[in-house]
Amino acid sequence: MKKTILSLALVLATGLLFAQKKTTTSAVISFDATTALDALPKAENKTVIASLDTKTGKLAFEATIKNFAFSNPRIQEHFNNKGWMDSDNFPTAGFAGTISDLSAVKFAKNGVYMVTVKGDLTLHGVTKTIEAPATITVDGTSIKAASVFGIKLADYGVDGAAIGAGKVSKEPTITVSAGF
Amino acid sequence: MITTKINKRYKKWMLAAFVLLLAAGATVWYVFTEKFTDTAEVKAAFTVNAADFIKEFRQDMKAANARYSEKIIVVNGIVSEVEAVDTTANIKMVDTASGAYVIFAFQKQHLSEAKAMKAGDQVSIKGSCSNGAFSNILETEYITFKRCAVNK
Repeated sequence: MKKTILSLALVLATGLLFAQKKTTTSAVISFDATTALDALPKAENKTVIASLDTKTGKLAFEATIKNFAFSNPRIQEHFNNKGWMDSDNFPTAGFAGTISDLSAVKFAKNGVYMVTVKGDLTLHGVTKTIEAPATITVDGTSIKAASVFGIKLADYGVDGAAIGAGKVSKEPTITVSAGF
Repeated sequence: MITTKINKRYKKWMLAAFVLLLAAGATVWYVFTEKFTDTAEVKAAFTVNAADFIKEFRQDMKAANARYSEKIIVVNGIVSEVEAVDTTANIKMVDTASGAYVIFAFQKQHLSEAKAMKAGDQVSIKGSCSNGAFSNILETEYITFKRCAVNK
């Protein structure tokens, strides 16, 4: 009986360890929309949900807009207002895509792998297909995915007065980092 | 006589303009350098129990968001998980029956408090409630907090 329980536990533990779909609720997305006129529009969200399927290469992110933390209260208020992200009407942003060159990544071998991720980014209620370079770092059972890319706010219908006045960059830099 | 009057009036205008300029400068300086207060020092609008809080969001997400979003709230509950990534650490309280959870991202100056916590600890956390949402990835509800600190 003990042997059976032990075997079942071992099978379960092995299954969990090598589960193909890995998730985290503490991925980090930061953006930098600073300009020469204003150094304040930058923030970080540390409670982003992310998933990575190591078999299919499917990668996904979900972030609540209101959990982007700014240092300045007024900029945070502006960020959530209708003129910018309108977070009451569009409370989340998300990405669903695939690692294009998955065969280049050896999840069983430690290393840093350069890949391209392509998928749909939904922001401010608008979905656009994007492609971005990313790195996959494998270290034992730990996998880290990271990417830095830019977006055009106008593509997502974000065009508030501060953007037009040059206080917020029209093409902010987005940094994504997820540990699985 | 007339020249003296003009000089006096000119001086008054100059002084008024200077005061206005000073006030405008002070306002701009205040707006651009203002920072969020340490959450530990802010009075909470609500004190809740984690299990009831999650239940409230699961029952009516819209009403719960209207009530709690962007409010400072004290949440009492048991730590389910400490998610430490690189230099940061988030605290999670999970409703084991549904998988729904509340997650707390700590203010920089209070990160060591989060790192000292461990699963099973009964804790009291104060933070700014962002909002609740449904995750399509995890297929459950979740509530996010920012700028958190241990409630003392």
